[in-house]
Amino acid sequence: MKLTRRNFIAAVIGGVAGIQATPLPWKITDDIAIWTQNWPWVPVPSTGEFSDVSSVCNLCPGGCGIAVKKVDERAIKIEGRTDYPVNPGGVCPVGMGGLQLLYDESLRFTGPMKRVGLRGAGQFTEISWGEAFDMVAGRISGLRKKGTPEAIAAVDGNPEGTTVSVLIKRLMRAMGSPNYVRPPSINDTYRMGNLLMQGTLTPMAYDLENSDYVLSFGAGLLEGWGAPGRVMNAWGMWHDGNPAKKKTRIVQVESRASNTASKADMWVAPRPGTDGALALGIAHVIIKSGQYDSRFVSDHSSGFEDGRSLDGVNHIGFKTLVLEKYSPEQVAKITGVSPKTIVSLAKGFVSAKTPVAVYGKGKDSLNGSLYEFMAVQSLNALKGSINRSGGVLLPDPIPLSNLPLLEVDAVASKGLKTPRLDQAGTMRYPFSDSLINNFTEVIKKSSKSPVDTLLVFSANPFFTLPDGGGFKRALEKIPFIVSFSPYRDETANMAELILPDSTYLEKVDDIVWPTGLQYPLYGLSKPVVEPLYNTKNSGDTVIELSRAIDESVGSAFPWENFEEVLQVRAKGLFDAGGGLVSYDPDTPAWQRQTAGNGPKPEYESFDEMWEGIQSGGMWYRPVSSPRSWKGLFNTPSGKFEFSSKLIAQAIENYSNKISKKAALKNMGIAVTDDEACMAHYEAPKTGSDSSVYPLRMLPYEMINLASGWIPSPPFLYKTIFENQLLKDKSFAAINPKTAARYNLKEGALVAVKSPAGEVQVRINLSEGAMPGIVYLPLGFGHTAYDEFLKDKGVNPNNIVQAGQDPISGYPVWWDTPVKIVRV
Amino acid sequence: MDSPLLPHGVKRCSTWAFFFWTLPWLALLAWGGLSAFLCLWKGLNQTNMSNIFAFALWIVFDLAIIALGAGAFFTGFLTYVMGQKELKNIIKPAVIIGFICYSGAIAMLGIDIGQPIRGWFIFWHANIHSMLVEVSFCITAYLMVLAIEFIPIILENRKLEEIKELRIFGHNLHEIMAVFAATGTFLSFFHQGSLGGMFGVMYARPFAAREGFYIWPWTFFLFVLSAIACGPCFTILCTKLTEFFARKKLVPDSAIQLLAKISAWLLSFYMVLKIFDYLGWMYGIVPRSGLTFESFFREGPYGVYLVVAEMIFCGILPAIILMTPKARQNQGLLITACLLNCTGIVLNRFLFIIVTLAIPVMPFDRFWSYLPTWQEWGIGMAVVGYGFLLFSAAYRYLPIFPKERELNPITE
Amino acid sequence: MKKSNDHGKYKYGMVIDIDKCTGCGTCMVACAAENNVAVRADQSDKERTITWMRLYKISNGKEFPHTEVSYFPRPCMHCDHHPPCVSVCVATATKLDFNTGIVSQIYTRCIGCRYCQAACPYGARYFNWWDVFPQDKGMDRYLTPEVSPRMRGVVEKCTFCHQRLMGAKTLAYAEDRQEIEEGEYVTACTEACPAQAITFGDLNNPEHEVSKLIKHPFTFRLLERIGTDPKVYYHSSRDWIRKLGDNFLPGEYTPVVNKTWAEEEWSTKPGRDEF
Repeated sequence: MKLTRRNFIAAVIGGVAGIQATPLPWKITDDIAIWTQNWPWVPVPSTGEFSDVSSVCNLCPGGCGIAVKKVDERAIKIEGRTDYPVNPGGVCPVGMGGLQLLYDESLRFTGPMKRVGLRGAGQFTEISWGEAFDMVAGRISGLRKKGTPEAIAAVDGNPEGTTVSVLIKRLMRAMGSPNYVRPPSINDTYRMGNLLMQGTLTPMAYDLENSDYVLSFGAGLLEGWGAPGRVMNAWGMWHDGNPAKKKTRIVQVESRASNTASKADMWVAPRPGTDGALALGIAHVIIKSGQYDSRFVSDHSSGFEDGRSLDGVNHIGFKTLVLEKYSPEQVAKITGVSPKTIVSLAKGFVSAKTPVAVYGKGKDSLNGSLYEFMAVQSLNALKGSINRSGGVLLPDPIPLSNLPLLEVDAVASKGLKTPRLDQAGTMRYPFSDSLINNFTEVIKKSSKSPVDTLLVFSANPFFTLPDGGGFKRALEKIPFIVSFSPYRDETANMAELILPDSTYLEKVDDIVWPTGLQYPLYGLSKPVVEPLYNTKNSGDTVIELSRAIDESVGSAFPWENFEEVLQVRAKGLFDAGGGLVSYDPDTPAWQRQTAGNGPKPEYESFDEMWEGIQSGGMWYRPVSSPRSWKGLFNTPSGKFEFSSKLIAQAIENYSNKISKKAALKNMGIAVTDDEACMAHYEAPKTGSDSSVYPLRMLPYEMINLASGWIPSPPFLYKTIFENQLLKDKSFAAINPKTAARYNLKEGALVAVKSPAGEVQVRINLSEGAMPGIVYLPLGFGHTAYDEFLKDKGVNPNNIVQAGQDPISGYPVWWDTPVKIVRV
Repeated sequence: MDSPLLPHGVKRCSTWAFFFWTLPWLALLAWGGLSAFLCLWKGLNQTNMSNIFAFALWIVFDLAIIALGAGAFFTGFLTYVMGQKELKNIIKPAVIIGFICYSGAIAMLGIDIGQPIRGWFIFWHANIHSMLVEVSFCITAYLMVLAIEFIPIILENRKLEEIKELRIFGHNLHEIMAVFAATGTFLSFFHQGSLGGMFGVMYARPFAAREGFYIWPWTFFLFVLSAIACGPCFTILCTKLTEFFARKKLVPDSAIQLLAKISAWLLSFYMVLKIFDYLGWMYGIVPRSGLTFESFFREGPYGVYLVVAEMIFCGILPAIILMTPKARQNQGLLITACLLNCTGIVLNRFLFIIVTLAIPVMPFDRFWSYLPTWQEWGIGMAVVGYGFLLFSAAYRYLPIFPKERELNPITE
Repeated sequence: MKKSNDHGKYKYGMVIDIDKCTGCGTCMVACAAENNVAVRADQSDKERTITWMRLYKISNGKEFPHTEVSYFPRPCMHCDHHPPCVSVCVATATKLDFNTGIVSQIYTRCIGCRYCQAACPYGARYFNWWDVFPQDKGMDRYLTPEVSPRMRGVVEKCTFCHQRLMGAKTLAYAEDRQEIEEGEYVTACTEACPAQAITFGDLNNPEHEVSKLIKHPFTFRLLERIGTDPKVYYHSSRDWIRKLGDNFLPGEYTPVVNKTWAEEEWSTKPGRDEF
């Protein structure tokens, strides 16, 4: 057919008309609509091969098992593991949001860095690892050459007993400085209390799952105490089935209607800091009614009855002390809890079959009071709940091998003889091994900082210490600070040099005995992804640094890398025998296994065991039968000591040097030396005028906000309520009655002032707050990190005026006098 | 300057005066243009709307102007279908007001939706169960009808009329206007109704939920009725406003009075039904949801006074004034009554949109307050500016008041 | 229109035990991580931040020290009877799948008119007020390819982790099974809850735990009397909590007293033990 003009036009018109009848124009328009939405900033996640990597969460000492979902090399989701003994399936919100801590680049240091801006400004420039090592090593060997290695100090936030912390301690010793300090934690209180009363060095082991009456003194069971995955799982178990026939009853002793307090079967609200008195009041009722476990008390305890010491002096016992001073009426005056409630608590506790009294202060990331702990532990002893299923277990320590003995050189041995700056372990604080608040004070008060070089590992004391901002001022005085933090935290921003650690998802690390767990567990977290940036496992950094310093220090670390050290220590697990490296959810680790040493190990050689630990991430020994009483308590009396002979000795030793009166005063004790050996209550010495500061401020912790040195994953801010944080202001929870005194409405902007400083917050009227107390949430108020975390709310630590806990010297952070001023 | 464009035989202000007159309205349009640009470019975060206030100022504006614009279809219906010749004197301004209201509303909706590019999905993926689909179909179709009704009015311009083809076209269009008027009436009826239905069908929102007839909740009928009760009043108000600025009479009183009388009857009828509606709601849906009447008027600025204002001051009172011949013949009272009537309907729409969303249904949920941003006001005000501009231009260049020459003979 | 899915094969639903819920918020984080939910710098703006699963804090309102707080975790209720959001959607971008009971949302079809948000009494629907995921921070690296990230201007909501149902089905087909087992398909929040407070399963299958739990006298739903027939159930032994689940006129609420269930006596508590 010839193409004429006419049929050309016809074809065009026909074509156009025809196309209209097809779906084509519609389809094209539809597609255009979708294409126009493909804005370059809406990401299209790449896909690939899916896989799961089992590891262990290392964001808190809880150490829950995690399964990380991956697509090719990208980690896309963290989930709880069901094949891990600590947490059958669940993790806490912080652990759940962990990928943001890995992938949010602006939270992290992407390589070794040197500060270029002002201190605290967070401006750094990237350098090479070689340069970084040269700079630190140069500084340190300079100090060693000058013969002042004690001017090196380290703050180590890694949990006690982990291999990296063992290495850091070793490095400090090898270099020759005694000034190794740790941020306080509840485990310090547990350690001292157990040492004094039981003579044991094993971590605290509460057999919560088997208990039928959990009397928690301040432990934030649902706020993140211990391993959150474990405690919350127990919580779910306790509430299974018919509530009328519920087996386990939970009583929470706390001044605020926290989640734990609200969700418990009973909530008792004593004034903050009087938990110990309440425990002693309960003890009074139990002793008076004669319902205590007389067998345990007579056979396995000492110091209950009055007695006469070898030198012929009469000493009062726990019984007399409690009966005289802690009647329900007397205790009611101290605590504000009615005598009736005290009696009913005692009744509940003694009538339960396997009750346990748990001690804590919120999460485990801050210390408690030694005497409070002793009071609570005395209750467990009275009921015979020690070394009994459902109570406090006394398992053997975890059998990790010690590293070979370290021989220090002359410089180091001279340096190690200098007194510790924090006075921990001296006569004044005989049982403490680290008092960072004292350390801070010494530096703050000095004209020239006694610390020249500070190494900071896995800690952010600038933010987390309850010291009224003291550490920050101490940092300002320290000439050279090195941070090993993977994150751009407040302390790191003050550092001259950053030798960044890899995050917990990029490195191998061990988790030694999660807080409060009733059986020994060694967890191994492993790299889920290759390090994203030029970072290095701090374990390896320490080894490499030691070699860079000098030969003598380097020779203390004869291992190729950190993983080798892990294996050296794990050797002990194999030698001890009897551990498992895999977990079957059908036989929970807390269920009593067959008598004897438990199940047969699944491995025959160390290599086999190590392989098992690497793939499963764990070595543990399920709960076994109560241990034989023989040799169980390593106290001077060989028994559980209501009245600690170690304290008596310490007081005597100190009294030999100065007068007894001065000794007691220096140790912070306001009672007689007899009483000082036992759990007792002492009103804190505030020294502030209550007419100027009529209120008390109590920081509180939340499970959905990281309160330790780890930044909160941005996801967590979704879970924060608008009356906890609104834009840049966090809220103080106060009772409406207290608010009415100051004529404050919901949302009012106020300044909370203490002798240590002031913070601006909004008011949240909360019936769950005890009148007279101002509750400030911990975890807000970062001045570092990125826009997700920075400048949101205030950090109550900045206005804490901490006293010292008697004997232990740890900060009393729960009793800050404050006033509220309208802004 | 523009005198060749002005209609024959009427007096208009100078070009400069007109230019200055347009300035404030152009300013509003500029404000709206900037707002629209920001909302389209950066997204709806420029507003203070939220997941609670998913509908806010713009939807109140939309519903209000659509109700007020109902004068167009209803006057058209009365003029062309019912044959009320008297109303020919006012039909043209009514149509223009309608066109302004509807085109303004659609423009606002285009910005209000989160994905303007996908707006046409309403037609492409239409969900026939959605009242909003019915609204969209009818509004779009009716805007076309309004445009068709508007065209012959434009073609009456002196210059355009000189073109023969256009004149014939306009004339022919005019001849078949009754068909469009009827179509418009049908479309309008359904979208005014479905706008009400939109709220009535939200059965999980006890404040808005209504029972009804077949698939139409009572709000369907109430919205139609209230729209045609206030539409004529709005037309009267616009005319009076034009007369005020033009400083001359433009529409014979008979037309105004007829509209006012019709409005009075409709408003009275509406008020009776609305009272029954309130009672039925208060004693039916509300207690069945476990709530009381007061529970909707306890939070924030929303009090029972709103209902009192809606029903008594802006409902019964104007109905009585308009119903009384003596009263409505008084210019002041007539204007007051028309104003109150229009306010009442706007208030009704406001309650249905804002209070429905503001008062949480879950007993543990909290109340949030809402204040529009300048961007939101900008878009709303742009419609006002657009309305003034278009209407003044129409008045200036088109013979929209047939009796203007007669009422204002030019004496040279 | 078919109004409910009684005749569908599966009807997925959830029971949340408020007594077990500890208010920790892990469900919210797990949900956000599973479903690529946007994160913005200021998330205290609760009116505009996106939380498919959201915790509501409730209180018994009593004076200190009788105060109790608790939490309502609130996902989408996946209303089974005539979901308020579905019928109003202009572009058919949300649907009740009669075969699974899941109320879905098609992001690429949503025009962002927000009528569904107005219609939903649970506040379960969220609009994308912002463009999100700044790629310069590298936070797009944790996004899962199983759920498409949303563009601004569209509404999103809980889908009962529909991608997990797809995954479970794929697995079952691969193993030559017709049916998926109980527990093979659970939502991210169910799986994540450290207190095991959430139970998920097929309400049409009497063998599933959820079907047993919903018969319990302590089980209730949010705003039940409005008639949306939610497939998310709550469970609490505390009266004041159950009472907050719906609106009641004075005298309307009757406490659960001595009802029998599964041959056991259950009695109600006014709240926690008094002391």
